[in-house]
Parts: sequence; structure tokens; C-alpha cells
Amino acid sequence: MIDALFEGLFLVLQWKALAFMLLGIGLGFWVGLLPGLGGATTLALMLPFIYTMQPVEAFAFLLGMHAVVATTGDITSVLFGVPGEGTSAATILDGHAMAKKGEAGRALGAALASSLVGAIVGAFALALAIPVVRPLVLSFGSPELFMLAIVGIAFIASLSAQGARGMLRGFLAGGLGLLLATVGQDPQAGVARYTLGTLYLWQGLELIPVLVGIFAIPEIIDLVVRGTSIAGTRPSGRISKGAFEGVKDTFRHFGLTIRCSLIGTFIGIMPGMGGAVAQWMAYGHATQSARNAEERKGFGAGDVRGVLGPGAANNSKEGGSLIPTIAFGVPGSTAMAILLGAFFLLGMVPGPDMLSKHLPVTFSMVWTIVLANVITVLACFMFLNRLASLTTVRGQLLIPVILMLVFIGSYTSNNHYGDIVVTLLFGGVGYLMVLGGWPRAPFVLGLVLGKIAENYLYISVARYEAAWLTRPVVLVLIALAIAVIVYPLFQSRRRAAHA
Amino acid sequence: MKTKLAVLAALAFAAVPLAGLAQPYAGKTVTIIVGYKPGGGYDRTARLLARYLPNHIPGKPTVIVQNMPGANSLIAANHVYSVAKPDGMTIGTFNRNLPIAQLTKVDGVKFDMTKFAWIGSAASESTILAIRSDLPYRNFDELRKSGKQIVIGATGPGANTYDFPLLLKELLGVNIKIVSGYSSSSDIMLAIERKEVDGRAGSLSSITPFIDRKLVHPVIRARASEPGIEQLPVDESLAPNARAKAIMALRSAPEIVGRPYVMTPGTPAELLQTMRTAFASAIKDPGLMAEAKKAKAELDYTPADKALEVMKEVLNQPKDVVDEFSKYIKFGE
Repeated sequence: MIDALFEGLFLVLQWKALAFMLLGIGLGFWVGLLPGLGGATTLALMLPFIYTMQPVEAFAFLLGMHAVVATTGDITSVLFGVPGEGTSAATILDGHAMAKKGEAGRALGAALASSLVGAIVGAFALALAIPVVRPLVLSFGSPELFMLAIVGIAFIASLSAQGARGMLRGFLAGGLGLLLATVGQDPQAGVARYTLGTLYLWQGLELIPVLVGIFAIPEIIDLVVRGTSIAGTRPSGRISKGAFEGVKDTFRHFGLTIRCSLIGTFIGIMPGMGGAVAQWMAYGHATQSARNAEERKGFGAGDVRGVLGPGAANNSKEGGSLIPTIAFGVPGSTAMAILLGAFFLLGMVPGPDMLSKHLPVTFSMVWTIVLANVITVLACFMFLNRLASLTTVRGQLLIPVILMLVFIGSYTSNNHYGDIVVTLLFGGVGYLMVLGGWPRAPFVLGLVLGKIAENYLYISVARYEAAWLTRPVVLVLIALAIAVIVYPLFQSRRRAAHA
Repeated sequence: MKTKLAVLAALAFAAVPLAGLAQPYAGKTVTIIVGYKPGGGYDRTARLLARYLPNHIPGKPTVIVQNMPGANSLIAANHVYSVAKPDGMTIGTFNRNLPIAQLTKVDGVKFDMTKFAWIGSAASESTILAIRSDLPYRNFDELRKSGKQIVIGATGPGANTYDFPLLLKELLGVNIKIVSGYSSSSDIMLAIERKEVDGRAGSLSSITPFIDRKLVHPVIRARASEPGIEQLPVDESLAPNARAKAIMALRSAPEIVGRPYVMTPGTPAELLQTMRTAFASAIKDPGLMAEAKKAKAELDYTPADKALEVMKEVLNQPKDVVDEFSKYIKFGE
């Protein structure tokens, strides 16, 4: 096992694999930065180039690229409030709020440093989990996955706003997300639901246009209304010197960063949960870690912990999602599905052998994720402060560029005008939610998890009838969901009694 | 000297249009429109072809792939049918089940499958039903005779993971319970591994790795065959009556045209012919064959007339067969 760990490292450190990895990192850097151009699409486009490569080189190239996408996606999220990737939207809530407070540098530093910690923790967790990973994954059937989705929504809904009223709003927003997830052709009867007679909505609402609309458009409107730069009239000296402060934050809240990394790894390992879920779960956990209501108020208004959580989970999940792909031949995300294609191209068969006979190759993949993140984060730090000073550019100059990113970003998801309409529509929804003080996080998580929840509930009932409710892991998760809802209420009542 | 130059110049100018006539694709860009997002089987095949086609088209045009996903590729098909120019520069590749959509009069179908300028099909897709190897049934006969229920995982109506076992259940009376809603065919594979379901239907190419791993074994197939599964029983041949047979045949017919390639109606005949020849020879290109073999997605050209024949077979069914067919099968994926 230890031998395989080091053999894997040496495999990646061969000069050719390393060179391909650097190439991949260079590509992934830009793909992550630009919204819309997604990691999965780029992987698909790069697939033809690996025919002549050796397996380790090919995976260094593809994974190097893929690992970086999540990291640099956070940069766009922090700077402009535009999600650079579908998987980096949660960073916007506090990251961009920090940028508006003139702490863009600190937010970027925190996002990158936590990404790095996440990648490393994820890799180590993975290495430790390899002996138990098959039973772990197999013990999560459809009923368990359904409950996991429910716990996730309950978690976010109860935590993203204050008090009983805020909680109610959280659940309503989450419910709206769940409802909107039902748009499209349903998988049980094949009926087209709420498609408004258009072909565009057959496949349901696309996540990217919705995310871009709901997060970026309100920020753009805000920027126009304020008529200043993103960082407003804050003294510019602080903005471009904060990157190191962000790194320090990562270590100040090291326990949180580690826990969020583990959450990310776990969600990554669960096939079918999808990449966008991990960061929101971590965000929820970060909010929960606030000791009192006063502290929690800072979340959404630029608390650095709201950046650290998603940043860490976002990268640790990559290692995790490798597991179902290589151990079962079952991809955990679109990107991994494409990576699975790479396995076949290289003449390798994913399956139990990858955890025994080909363990060094598996470890070389884990190492690639770690090294790619180390290299990217170090490279980013060289010009992080310059990036941060973009937030001092006058709004009039910045808005056209951001708008272009927004529209191109959403249009590339289907190459259809419907994408633009959805972006604008949800831009309006997002703006109203911000104005009215409604939390956006539960809405997004409801949308992301809606299909998963619906399908796994159907499968659970069809397969096990009522008996699915008696499965032990399901019972634990039900208890957890109830605890997540009841605990904040109980906590606030106790505090009221104290006062 | 001057005259010599003039003659040369005249010759040079004359040669340009001549070359242009002989090689209408020289210097041009041909776009293959894929009705799905990047990453899937249709997209992979198109991208593979896009790299080899230029060498087989006189004039070596650039061939690019454009993804136009949505509505199970209805959007892309409508585009190639009536928006794209019939100038031979646009090729479409769509969901093989589009003739089913046309047959069952799905809203949004704005094309007639028989009127496309058909290039042909790049591959056929065989559908099989595979069951867990630890079940006591070695073959379809044993499974059917046991009378015990087996649970089959599926993605949803309109996909072969759903429709194939549905007809086995409804028309052959096999005791099958279909559990649908899995997000992808590989998700069903995982459900098989954790014994949530007993088996699944799907294209041979997607199940092969799991057959090789001895997790599942195939027990029955549909009409379209591939090397290695010829000896499996075919669903239609077990049909109790002509009506059932017609319905099963109708479901599987599009699989022979598994990767359909068409151009806009009205494309000039000589350009269409160039493209047909190019496809036929590109698919036999040793480089392409080697790559396809590696990717476990081998290609096999079905000529345009054969593809068109299949379309007509599907679309010329008597009304009573269509009505009964529509009861079971919905257009999807």
C-alpha cells in the first residue's frame, strides 16, 4: 500500500507525465476562469489527444486540467460574482461580498489556500479509504441517497437565514428549487412537465444559466446602481495586500477547512450526487460552525469562513469522485463519465483491479490532483494581488466585460437563445430575492438536488415499498434531518431564555 | 515573353474555377451538428469521424463538430431539416429514435425522416438484456420458465433500458418489474452491483465491460446483432403472435441505423454522393478503425438506401400497430 503510494508519485514525476500535467494545468486554468466553458466539455474536447499517450501521461494531462478548473473557477466567483463553473457558485455568497468590502485579495487567498488544503486532505482521505471504499459505496443504495439529498436541503434551508422567519424563508426557497427541478421530461412516465410548449425545456432547466442569472445579474445591477467600482470607495491599499491574510485565515479556521474537505470527499465518493452539491453542503457546515446568531449574521455579508468551506470541499471532492469511476466503472459526475471514456481508450478496465493490481496508477491520479493544485495555487499567488485590484476598476469599464462573460457563459451550455432568456429571468428572480432578504443558497440546492431526490425516492418506493424507511442508514439520516431542523430553533429559544 | 506570361496568367485564372468545380469542398468547412452535449456516444462518434473525414473528401475540407443539445435532439433535427442551407456543408447526427418520434406524432417534430438527404449510419447499436451472474438463471429460457420476478433497473421511457424490458414483460409475459429513474446507464450498473436490481437492458457496447468482469451475463437481444452475441435468442422470434412481433420489430428497427448521418433536404446530388463515398471509406480507414476499437465503439457503415428503407419500414406501419405501439413506447433520450 505505502509502496503503491510512492510508486504512484514517481509515475507522475516522470518528465513526460509532468510536462503533460503542466499543459493540462495551463488549459484548465483558463477553462476554470471563464464561465460557461465547463470542465466536462473541455475534457471531452481533449479526449482525442490522448490516443498516443501512456496511461499515466494521459491521466496527468486530463486530471491536471480537471483539478485546476474548480480552483480557478473560484477566482471569477470572488472577483465578479459570476460563477466560473457550476461547481464554484457557493464561493460567490461570501467571496464576492468580501470583494465588495474591499477584501478581494483576502478572499482569493482564502479560496486558493483552502482549495490546496482540500485537495491534499481529499487525497489522503482517499488513500486511507481505499480498503473500505467498495463496501462504503455499496452500502449507499437509492433510499440512502434520497435521504442524503433531503438532509442536504434541510441543512441549507435551516442555516442560511436567521431565526424562525428566516428558516421558513429558507425552506420556501428550497421548496421552490425542488419544484423548478421538476421541469422537463419525467423519467417515470415520459411526460413533459412545465415545458411551456417549448423544446428547450424538455431537458429541464440547465444549471449554469440559472446560476449565472441568479448570482451574477443582481451583482451587476448593484454595481450599476452604486456607480463605483466593485470595492466601492475603500482604500485601495488593503485590497491588493490581503492575499496572505487569506492564507492565514485558512490556518486560523483549520479545523473547519479540514472538516469541509472531508465533506467534499464524502459527497464526491457518492455517485449520483453530482459536483455542485459538495460546496453547498460545506457552505452549510461553515454557517453551522458559527457559534451564535451574531456571528452567523456575517455569513453572506463577507465572512471568510463562507469562502473556506466551499473552497476546500470543491477540490477535495475531485479525489472522491475518482473512486466510483475507477473502482466500479461508474462515474460520479459528467467529467468523470468522460474520464471513463479515457480508460477505454487507454485499454484499461476500471473495476476492482484498479484498487489492487493497478493501485500505483490509481495513486498517480490522486497525486496528479494534489500536484496540480499545488502548482496552480503557487502560480496564482504571484499575480493574485493584481487580480484583486480588478475590483477597484470603475464599474462603467468593468460592466461590459462582466456582461459579456455572463451571456457567453450561459449561452455555451446549450448554444440556444433559451439559455439567455433563462439567465435574464433568473437574474430578475435573484435580484428580487436579494432585495427581499431571501436566501439563494437553499433555492440553488433544491434545484440541484430536486431530480436526484425525486428519482431516488421513486426507485426506493418501487423497489422496496415502505421497507426502505426501516434501513439503518436511512433511519440515521432521518434523525439527522430532524436534528438539523430542530436544533437551531432550540438553540435560539435557549438563548432567548438566557437573555 | 509578355504573351507567355499572359497565357500563364490566363491558365492560372482558368484553373481556379476548374479546380473549384472539380472539388467543391476545397477550402470549405463542413459542420457536423450533434443533437447532444459533448461526451456521449453520438458526440464521440462524430468527433472521431470529423478527424478522419477530411482525408476522404476531395479537396480536404475542414470538418468541425457543433453540439446542439436539447429535446432528445429534436432541436438539432429541426435545425438541419429547415434552417441549415442545403449546400452540402451541414451534416446532422441525431437520436436514432427520431423516426419513433415522427411515428407517434410527438409535438415539436418539424421534419420528415424520409426526406432528409441520407448519408447513412456510422454504426448499429445492439440492445441486450443482461442479468446478474449470481442469479440461478443461465439463459433466457430458464429465466422465463422460473416465473419468479426479476427487477430491472432503467433510466426512463424512450430509452432502450426501459423499452426493451417493457416489451419483454408486456408481450412475452416475462415476470419483470421495471424500476426507472436512474440518472444514467452506469448508475444502474452500480445498483446491480449492490443488488438493488437484478439486471438491465442497454446497448451491448455499454454493458460489455461489465460482462467481461463477470458481473452480468447477457440473456436475450433485439434484432440488430454484433459479433459475439449472434447466438443469443432474439425477442421477436419468441413473439406469440404477429402483432407482438411487429411491435418488437418496430422498437428495434432504428437500432440498425444506430448513428444516423443526414444532410439538409435538397442538398445537390453530387455533393451528397461525395459525402456518402467519403463516409464509407473513412469508416474503413485503418487509423479510425484502430481508434474505434480502442474506445470499444466500433463503427460499421450502413448505406443511405438501407437506412432509408428502415425509416420507411418504421413509418409505413398500419394504424392499429401504431396505436398499440404508442401504448407502450414513448419517444425519449
